[in-house]
Amino acid sequence: MSVVSSSEISRPPIQRKGFSYDRLIRYFFASNAGLTIVILLLIIAFLLKEGLGFFPGYRRELEIYRITGMEFVDLSRTNLTSHEQLTSLLNRAYFAEINGQADRELKRSTEAAALVADIDDFTASVRDSYFSATEEAAPAAEVIARLKAQYAALLSLAIKDLPPSPHLTEEERKGIIDAMMQRPIDNEDTPEFVTKLAGEYATARQKFAAPLEEARTRIDAFEAAGSELNSLVGEMTSLVRVSKDALNKSDILERERKSLLAAAASAKDPATRERLQQEAKTALAEVPDIRETTEKVLAKKSQCSEAHQKLHQSITGLTAQLTFSYQQAESVKLQRAALAAMPAFLKELEAAPAKIEAWNAAEPVHLSAAIHSFLTGKSWVTGGEWQDFYGILPLLTGSLMIAIVALLIAIPVGIGAAIYTNQFASLREQKLIKPIIEFIQAIPSVVLGFIGIFILGEALRTLSTSPALAWFPGFPMDERLNIFTAGCLLALMSIPTIFSLAEDAINNVPAAYSEASEALGASKLQTTFRVVVPAAFSGILAAVLLGFGRVIGETMVVLLVAGNRIKIPDFSAGVGAFFQPAHTMTGIIAQELGEVPVGSVHYRALFVVGILLFAIVLGINATAHHFTRKMKH
Amino acid sequence: MNSAIQIEHLDFCYGAKQALFDVSMEIPALQVTALIGPSGCGKSTLLRCFNRINDRIAGARVTGGSIRIHDIDIMRPDIDLLELRRHVGMVFQKYNPFAKSIYENVAYSSRIAGIKDKARLDEIVESSLRDAALWDEVKDRVHDSAFGLSGGQQQRLCIARAIANRPEILLMDEPCAALDPLATLKIEELIQQLKKQFTIVIVTHNMAQASRCSDKTAFMYLGKLIEFDDTKKIFTNPREKQTEQYITGSFG
Amino acid sequence: MISEETLIRKGTPKGKGLDLGIRTMFAGLTYLILFVAVLLFCKICWDGAPTLFSTKAPFVNVSFLLDKNQTLHVFDNPQGERLQLPASEYMAYVKTNGEASVFNHQSFSYSGGGIIGPIVGTLLLTVGSIIIALFFGVSAAIYLSEYAKDSPFIHVVRLAILNLAGVPSIVFGLFGFSVFVLAVPIITDEPSSRSLFTLPLFASDYVISFQGWNSSLMAGCATLACMILPVIITASEESLKSVPQGFRDASLALGATRWQTIRRSVLPFSLPGILTSSLLAITRVAGETAPIMFTAAVAAKDDLPWEGMSNPLDILSSQVQALPYHIYTLAARIPNSEYTQRAQYGSVFVFLLLVALMSFSSMYLRAKVRAKLKW
Repeated sequence: MSVVSSSEISRPPIQRKGFSYDRLIRYFFASNAGLTIVILLLIIAFLLKEGLGFFPGYRRELEIYRITGMEFVDLSRTNLTSHEQLTSLLNRAYFAEINGQADRELKRSTEAAALVADIDDFTASVRDSYFSATEEAAPAAEVIARLKAQYAALLSLAIKDLPPSPHLTEEERKGIIDAMMQRPIDNEDTPEFVTKLAGEYATARQKFAAPLEEARTRIDAFEAAGSELNSLVGEMTSLVRVSKDALNKSDILERERKSLLAAAASAKDPATRERLQQEAKTALAEVPDIRETTEKVLAKKSQCSEAHQKLHQSITGLTAQLTFSYQQAESVKLQRAALAAMPAFLKELEAAPAKIEAWNAAEPVHLSAAIHSFLTGKSWVTGGEWQDFYGILPLLTGSLMIAIVALLIAIPVGIGAAIYTNQFASLREQKLIKPIIEFIQAIPSVVLGFIGIFILGEALRTLSTSPALAWFPGFPMDERLNIFTAGCLLALMSIPTIFSLAEDAINNVPAAYSEASEALGASKLQTTFRVVVPAAFSGILAAVLLGFGRVIGETMVVLLVAGNRIKIPDFSAGVGAFFQPAHTMTGIIAQELGEVPVGSVHYRALFVVGILLFAIVLGINATAHHFTRKMKH
Repeated sequence: MNSAIQIEHLDFCYGAKQALFDVSMEIPALQVTALIGPSGCGKSTLLRCFNRINDRIAGARVTGGSIRIHDIDIMRPDIDLLELRRHVGMVFQKYNPFAKSIYENVAYSSRIAGIKDKARLDEIVESSLRDAALWDEVKDRVHDSAFGLSGGQQQRLCIARAIANRPEILLMDEPCAALDPLATLKIEELIQQLKKQFTIVIVTHNMAQASRCSDKTAFMYLGKLIEFDDTKKIFTNPREKQTEQYITGSFG
Repeated sequence: MISEETLIRKGTPKGKGLDLGIRTMFAGLTYLILFVAVLLFCKICWDGAPTLFSTKAPFVNVSFLLDKNQTLHVFDNPQGERLQLPASEYMAYVKTNGEASVFNHQSFSYSGGGIIGPIVGTLLLTVGSIIIALFFGVSAAIYLSEYAKDSPFIHVVRLAILNLAGVPSIVFGLFGFSVFVLAVPIITDEPSSRSLFTLPLFASDYVISFQGWNSSLMAGCATLACMILPVIITASEESLKSVPQGFRDASLALGATRWQTIRRSVLPFSLPGILTSSLLAITRVAGETAPIMFTAAVAAKDDLPWEGMSNPLDILSSQVQALPYHIYTLAARIPNSEYTQRAQYGSVFVFLLLVALMSFSSMYLRAKVRAKLKW
């Protein structure tokens, strides 16, 4: 006898045919699991879809760069730029020397001027109102009176918070402030004493410049030597720019025509089709004839070669005489830098004529040239007036250098903390350490970036200016935001990753190992370092690699803190290169994607950077998982 | 006959739970002493007191009595634990060679003791492996990973590793529990060889093994030592009823 | 030979100093990192707390949490007092007192008012993406843990999960931008010119146009959901697997179908674990900036998402502000001055407080769930 009648139980028959809910549910879950594959494939597909168009587009840009003769102009322009940089270095050395000698006068004058400017700024608005009021035919007396009262009020407010003036005596400072206080609203003159200080500074400059007269003439001669090349490059630039604009315009028209034709082909209504085709015909761009201008540019080949040879000659003559015995440390440093760069520059100048002669506008630009230029290009120049270059090297170097700094800090700290926590720490310590490190992992990267800008960057720079650390290469830092600062923060970010994975790996080493080791008379320390850590080695390696993957792929911290200068750091500074600003692969995407037109070459370039990033990180992770698997066996 | 280990009224606790109650016995030198009893009777705990490896477990402590090895109380706080363990070697239930080569496994204890001389290390490794009856099987591949050996070989490697220190006492915690009968036989033969050099204390579940290879047998039950005598006597004519019941398989 | 000589320590054993030194060094490394973390946390609290809390009752500065974000105007009034007013109050001031009564005027974008916009935006993004990710993630985990046998399909799924988990967040940003913003289908009667292709819906003017959802709340949610999916799947699978096999066997043996077994004997017991781990996922979603930069977030927005909407569903297709993006804007786009610090440190403090709250409650709940679920 059953309590439940059989009709109350709806039970499927044992043998089922065809459709069943259970199977449907199963397929539903399976398809959700398959979603992960779909997402991964979509990521790859869309990265490639947007990215692969980059190379043909870039090839076309490089082709334009060549056939318009821009490439030809750049052969001379690079040398001109180096010449300008050298000149600037020499000039800076010269002025640093003079200003260094006249340091006291300079500081007194600037400080006094700063006092005046501060008070002026503070009262500027009321003064402006006063002047506009008095311009009217009949200014109301009460308005004037009110403005004057406000002026007086502001003046007394202004002197409360003035910049320090350590090089002026208390009396002098007071004199200036009093003069400013007594100055009526309609008087804009600088106090006499301030003018006098400026005069003293000018006299001092003249005095110290006198013995350096020889240097001045030679630097001027050096500068003048480049003038011929300069004007040549100027002429050619305006010529090729015309061709480039014409070509770009025709490219755009051609694209429009194609889309019009495509629209016409798909139009249903014959009248619309007719109209669209007509529009396409009128839009048909003539391929502009740029041969003429290119030839005009090429006609200057011999002139260019000559200019280079002349420049080479005159500079060779001057180089020996460019060493002056400066006394200021700054000047000596700058001069040394200038002289060090000189031989390479001379070599370039010497090689230039041959390059100029060999250049050929008709030489075809292959797709491989675009790929090559992307992978080995040393400059990433975009949205520029002249020519865009998409070279990955500066970004890749930036990313790698930041990762190196981060890992150099995070590996010892992360692994050390993992070893300590797992092997030596008491249970209570573990309960303190683990949640805090887990919390660090939860800190959003943008908050770390904020900390970098507002706290760490300033703190590190202040530290780097301390005289006790002056021996350290790269100190004092020029920039608050640089590779090292970003690396420190990324270290903080990757420590939890490395810590928790390494701690897991150490924890997974069988207890029998350490028991056996201690039974053999090994101390705890010996057991840890000779048995436990070696046994966990591949797991720890995986932890480090995953930390590396996280660092390379991190965006917000580097975007905010790395300094965003798109330039390969100057490795001649040695370790100091790590204290220069840089840009990164992740940072460039985040910074530029929002600003570029969808579908442009620049837009596609960012996707190619994304593909590269994706490939690098996936490669790192795959290696890491290889080691994790090895650990399990 | 002199005794290697003297245990007097030993009480032992894991935290609040008492595991050994008033155990007293004298383990003779250069003989094999077997500790038998049902699971949880405290035989492993007792064994693990002899080299104080129980110190690793938080809350484990001796609450009364003493253990003396050669008249030195090893529970004294100023005992050099590392030195003690060099003199009292141990082999575990599950063979546990390190993730290193065979050579490095055996040389481990010498290396941590600071021996760096290659020739000396070679000598120690060879003699230990010979004593563990493993040398002939592995002499061509001593630098291969220890995990390439069979289970029985790995356990003999662990024995070689334990005797590389030349301890006086060798503790074995169910050394054959994870091995097949053939490998077990080899280990038992080895124990007979080793007792010429070492005092051996072996914990075993297997009464046949205890009767085959030990000279003395201690039967423990619920943390107490019930009976301790010559093996022959225990297995043929036990004094206590519990011992007899256990040996005949009535419980345990 | 054992003897008193060898066994008894005399004085400090040799090597003890080194031993202690090495231990101390490792302890030092560990506590260094804790110290740095706590120091930074305290610094932000110290600078940020005054924005949110006050010494006077009701002690919490509610207006910072509940006001909209505005430009901050700083100027002197004719009495020489320095005033800081958000844009709306500034306008009112100028209206009553006239332009002439404003001196030394400076304005700071994003620095006035409160942060209700970013808070609401982050809330919407988080809730939306977590709902999507939980639905698909838990389903996928059920398949992996309850149905899957060792098959090539499962291998590929696991590989995909593993790889998805490693994809950098900025790549998710690129993906979200190119897929959800520019390519996913919508139904419309006037397809955009950038549409990839269109499918006609028969008997109407409407077509399915693959033109994307533009930068919008739903594009952002979808991107974040994709990013967090592997985390949810892994956590859910772990939680499902921790339910003892016996529960399933017993249910199946009683004649229940697979699905009945899962619904009644497995899911109820693993749900606490799944929800606890998703709290961790929430922390991550709420903190991400890179994926929403191009898919959902705007720096400035006058209205809250639902204001001025005729149709509540329009919220989904509107852009939102978000706390992490707001902090990025405050850090990168405006200068650091005494007048902007309130907004900068205040926002970061609120954000960090939220994250810490979620993070520690997730840890606490996880410990509790683990302690409870000992079968």
